[in-house]
Order: sequence, then structure tokens, then C-alpha cells
Amino acid sequence: MSTSNFVLFLVSGGLAIVGAIGTVASRKPLRAAVALLLHIIALAALYLTLHAELLAALQLLVYAGAIVVLFVFVIMLIGPAAEVPSNPRGKITRLLSLVVGGSVMATVSFALVGHTAPRLPMLRNEAGENIFGTVEGMGVAIYQQALVPFELVSAALLVAIIGAIAIARSRTPQEQAVVVERQAERIELAAARDAELAQATAKVGS
Amino acid sequence: MSVWMLVSPLLMLGLGGLLVMLVDAFVDEKAELPILTAILLAVAGGVAAAGIVNYDNVALAGAPEYLTRYLAFDRFALFFDVVVCGGAALSALLAGGYLREHDLERGEFYILIIYAALGAMVLGHAIDLLTIFIGLETMSLGAYAMVAFRRTSARAVEGAVKYFLLGSFAAAILLFGSALLYGATGHTDLAGIGEAIEGGNASIKLVLMAMFMMIVGLAFKVSAVPFHMWTPDAYEGAVTPATTFMSVAVKSAAFAVMVRVLLTVFGDDLSASAASGWPPVIAGLAAITMVYGNLAAIGQSSVKRMLAYSSVAHAGYAMVGVVAAFRVEEIAVSSVLFYLMAYTVGNVLTFGALIWFGSNGREAVSYEDLAGAGRRHPLVALPFVIGVLTLMGFPPTAGFFAKYYVFNAAVQAGGGMIWLAIIGVLSSAVGAYYYLRVIVFLFMKEPQPGAPIAIPMRSGYVAFVMIIAGYFVMKMGITPGPYLDLAMSAAEQFVS
Amino acid sequence: MDVGIGEYLALASILFGIGAMGFLTRRNFLIQLMSIEVMLNSVNVMLVAFNRYQPSNHDGQVFAFFVIAIAAAEAAVGLAIVISLFRLQKSVETDLPSALKH
Repeated sequence: MSTSNFVLFLVSGGLAIVGAIGTVASRKPLRAAVALLLHIIALAALYLTLHAELLAALQLLVYAGAIVVLFVFVIMLIGPAAEVPSNPRGKITRLLSLVVGGSVMATVSFALVGHTAPRLPMLRNEAGENIFGTVEGMGVAIYQQALVPFELVSAALLVAIIGAIAIARSRTPQEQAVVVERQAERIELAAARDAELAQATAKVGS
Repeated sequence: MSVWMLVSPLLMLGLGGLLVMLVDAFVDEKAELPILTAILLAVAGGVAAAGIVNYDNVALAGAPEYLTRYLAFDRFALFFDVVVCGGAALSALLAGGYLREHDLERGEFYILIIYAALGAMVLGHAIDLLTIFIGLETMSLGAYAMVAFRRTSARAVEGAVKYFLLGSFAAAILLFGSALLYGATGHTDLAGIGEAIEGGNASIKLVLMAMFMMIVGLAFKVSAVPFHMWTPDAYEGAVTPATTFMSVAVKSAAFAVMVRVLLTVFGDDLSASAASGWPPVIAGLAAITMVYGNLAAIGQSSVKRMLAYSSVAHAGYAMVGVVAAFRVEEIAVSSVLFYLMAYTVGNVLTFGALIWFGSNGREAVSYEDLAGAGRRHPLVALPFVIGVLTLMGFPPTAGFFAKYYVFNAAVQAGGGMIWLAIIGVLSSAVGAYYYLRVIVFLFMKEPQPGAPIAIPMRSGYVAFVMIIAGYFVMKMGITPGPYLDLAMSAAEQFVS
Repeated sequence: MDVGIGEYLALASILFGIGAMGFLTRRNFLIQLMSIEVMLNSVNVMLVAFNRYQPSNHDGQVFAFFVIAIAAAEAAVGLAIVISLFRLQKSVETDLPSALKH
């Protein structure tokens, strides 16, 4: 591996870790989304050091272009409620899971860091050109060998679309009626409770 | 016959789902989507069943390589096609009664059932880590959406949140395990990975980590203790037909993957031995799942939540069969398959009866709701009684033989597996308490004065499902032979 | 000055661990969803890295390609649940115990 690759690995790997930490540790979801963007772009650069040019492009298009934008969109839609006040309860469980998670992560990464593999010759096309990770190579791999998973993934995307519509579509009139009814019930209950309370205080007062 | 006959159930669901969508969008009248969906699923299941019968006449050798590389078309996969399609078709009919009665009728539900069933079937066919992942996600995404379907209910959405978060987390862990397996062996197809591990061409370190992560991910999906936290909330929050679908189709498909992965990938002597590898891990999970599931079910006041814990316990019983497979493959795998089939019809029957007892926006969920209902409506209570008896494992119902075969497989495996069978028998004896409590409430209690009284809905769909499911529960209990043969023939391919 | 496959794998597992810890410790649905994305991304790094050292086919990269597609689908459903949750309780906190007490 050349020095430039080494530098790229260090820089993009470091930025990916910084982005990941920023994502999970930010209090504000919008900052987390921007940190996720940094993480994703850093990983795209990392893919270049691994000869995955097409994936690097897809990473930018799909993750940065679609997923992060979707996140930002929802955060904007929800507004201030997107931020959740920190909860003093459960601090110990949180600390415990940090310690356990950290130690597992340390062991796994330590176990993996020494892992080696021989460097084998890359995939070539009939003309003898190196097609590993290029559009040509990936195109053949996806549309000829992985045709079946490719078709199946369309079912997964379809189910996601239908599911998202079923969950988040605006309420039907009947559903709205149910919600309104329930709210009215709640207000009635609260009013009844208030009246009771007033009576009780009046009794105590007299 | 060409291999395309065996592919056609998958194609039918994929294209039929589009058809149902079009009907939902463009047919103005209240289209009979439940019937359309159920017929579609039943035909797909029927074609798969015909494929099993004519299996020897199918020219598998001529199958194109791109097809057989990712999906297997063996009897095992076809068996799961039949079970998943059957369970999904019955759930769709139950939804036809339930959604209308509770003013939730929206066509999306049926499309979600169809595509989630497609994902579940793909899981049965999958012989590659890639198709396992895609099938799992297709199925799970559909199930998440079904749980969140009742959007006005805080309980439904909370259940969906929990299910979604833990399910995606489990999928990520499973994926990490898959990546390690790929790295360790250089293959993504299960057979290739298995050969590489058996031949000693894989880094033991990576394989062990991968095995651990795969087991954790799969245990989440079959809701084994301690990875069951989502189950009660998701099952209780979901609309009952969705609960039915999750407890039959989703669970069966997860077991299909579990059996295939454990036996194909980790079938080598080192991974599949009583001293090291997965059998002791799965045995431990099975034991605590059975004990915890049954004990937790006792304390519930909601029948729906009790059935959720009972489904946790049933996952434990089925896992007993999965463990035994490391020694007596054919007997154990066939017992798991028979178990899943019997559990599917039994669960459809019980949940269907629960659905039947709710009408006009008011559902029966707690024991109190059911008090005295059996005396007022004996005909409606009958399927409920049969349903809880089969879940309990009372002869002569399907559930009895299902439990018998599973525990028999454990005893045949011998060694430490016998205590597992004993734990299973003891914990199912504990389970009798809460199942019989349903019958006690149905027939021997009277509702509290002023409490709402359960009024059964009038729905031909639900009645039809009860007849079908009840028929199979009794048939499999009285003459289990042909069904066991079917399971045996599906299990044969794992015999080495 | 050589980076081998081990370094990539270690990086991937560190990222996976960060994602998993974020998932387990945060109580904000949106952040938990992003943590899952981080975890899926780390698996992709691992797949691509493994593929770089077995470059006679594209199995790993194809796998990563599908993981990206599925991650998008998962994010769509997850965000729909976020919106549904927000409509009901005006918050995206995930362990509000109120509804699930039984």
C-alpha cells in the first residue's frame, strides 16, 4: 500500500470515528445528523482506499443524498420535540452498558487488528483490464450473478414504502374521530377530578 | 416439470401483491381484499404443496445458476412455503373480520401481509447470507408496519417502537456475524462456508465470533429469552390479526433460518458438539425460554399478553428440537417442522377465537372480558377451548404430538439432552395453569356487575378460519402420521 | 507504513461498538435510528475490506450494495414510526413507561 493510501486511511478512518462519536453523543439531533454526514463522507473516502469506487459513489448518493436528507427533513418537521431531555434515571445502566460495550469492542478490535490475509490478484475482464470495484465489474456482479437478490430487494423497498404510508399517512376521518373522542374523555376526566378536588378542599376548609 | 413450478409461489406473491395494490387503488366499491389476498396466498401455498408431492418429477438439474445460487428449492423450503402461506392466508381472513369490525379497514394491511409473507418464504429458501438478510428485512419491515398499523393507539406505536429498535439492532448484529463469516471463509453461500469451516480453512477466531453473533441475532427473531423483551409489547400492541401473523409466519421463518444456518454452516464436528459450539448455548437458551415464558405467562391479566408469553415459551419448546438436531438430525428437524406446523394452526385458532369475541370497536383482551362468555355463546367458545388445549399439548390435539415429537427427539439425542426434555415437560405442566384459566373464565365465572360483556362479531371470514384451523388441529392430533411423513421428507436433506 | 486488513477490521468493529453503545445508551428515537445506521455502515466497511483481500469476485461489495439499499428502507420505516410516535405523544423519547405499564 502506498503512502498516500496510508494517509487517506488515517484521515478518513479518524474522521469516520469522530463522525460516529458525534452522531451518538450529540444532544441535538440536527448536530447528530450533520455528524452522520461527516461519518458517511469519510467512509466513502475509505472505500476508495479499498478499490470500491462504485460503492463510494453510491455511499454518497444514497446515504448522504437520501438518508441524511430524510433525517434532517423529519427533524425539521418535528421541531423542538426532536430533542429529548436527558433522563437522570438509568444512569447506572447506561454507565454499565458503556463499560460492557467498550470492553467488548476493545477485545474484538484487538483480536481483529492482527488478522492478516494474503493479497490476491484482482478480478479482470476478458480484455485483461482490472475491473475490481469498477462500474463494469459491479454491474456484471449485480445484474448477472446477483439477479435474484436484486429482484428481492425491490420487494423490500416496496414493503418499506407501503409500510411507511400505512404508518405515517394522515389519519382517516374515523381515526380522527377516535382521537377526538379520547381527548374529550380525558378532558372530562380531568374536569371531574378537578371538581372532586375542589369539593375535598372546600370540605377541609369548612 | 421445470423448476419454475417451484419458483412460482414466490413469483405469485410478488406479482399478486401488485395486483392487490391496483385493486385497492382503482376499485371504488369496497373490494373484497381479504378474500383476494387469502386466495392468492392459498393458491401459492397449494402450488408449493403440489411441488412437494411431485418433487421427484421436477427437473432441478436444469435450473439456471443465478437462481440456485441464492435460493434452494428443496422440500424443506417448500414445506415452509406451505406453512407460511397457510398462516398468512388465515391471518388475512381474520383481518377481514377484525379490521372491519373495529373501523380500521385500510387496504395497506393486506399488501403488507403479502409482502411480509414473501420475505418469510424467501427465508425458507435462502441458502446465502445475502438472501437471508434481504428476506429477513423484507419480513421484518412488513411486521413493524403491521404492529404500528393502529396509529391512534399509544400502545400500538410504543410496541412498534420497541419492536423496530430491537429488531433492527438484532439485524445489525446478525449482519456483523454474516460479514465475519464471509471474511473468515471467502464465501457467502451457506454450503461453501460450511465446507470451508469443516476443512479447517477458516480462522477459528472469526468463526467463533460470527457464530455467537448469528445466534444472538436469530434468538431475537424467534424471541428466545433473554432476547424476548419486544415480544409482549409488540404482540399486545399490534392489531390481533398482525399478532397472529407474527406468531405464526414470522416465527416459523426465523426457525427455518436457524435450522439451516446451524446445520449447514456450523455442522462441523467442532461447532456441533455437546462440549463446544452451539448445542450447549441453544440448550441453555431453550431451557430459560421455556421456564421464563411459562412463569411470566401466569402473571398476566390480559389474555393477549398471556398468549405473547406463551409464544415465547413455545419458541423454547421448538428450540429443544433444534438442539437435538446436532445428534439425531432427521428426527429432530422433522419434529421442529411438525411443531411449527401444529403451532401455526393452534395459534391461528386461539387468536382467531379471541378476535371472534370482540365486536364493534370493543375487543376482548383480558380474562375478565371473557367471563361467562362461553356459557352465553358456546359455539364461539368451542374453538377457543380447542385452541388453548392444543397450545397446552392436550391429547388428541395437534399440540400434543408436536410436544411429544420434540421431547422424543431430545431423549433420542441422549446425553445432556434428557434433562432438557424433563424441563420441557415440567414447564408445560406449569403452562397448563394459565391455559385452563381461560376455560375456567369462559365457563365458570360470571362478569362483574356493570363490566362490559363480550359480544362476538358476526363475520363469515372468522368463522371460516375457525373451521379450517380447528379441522387441522384435530386432524393432526388424531392422525399425525401423514403430516409427520411430510416433515420427515422435508428434513431428509440434512441427513449426512 | 502498511495498512493491512486487520486495521480495517479493527476500525469497523470500533465503529460498530460506537453505534451499539449509542443505541443502548440514548433514549432519543432519532439518535437510536442514526446509531443503527452507523452500525450498518461499519458492517459495510468490514465487507468491503474483506473483499479487497479476496478480489477474485465481488461478493463482499455486492453484499455492501444491498446493505445500503436495505438501510434506506429501514430508515424510511423507522422515520415513519418516529412521526407516528410524535403525533401521539409529542415527543420522540423511547422509554416513556406510561403506555406499556400493565
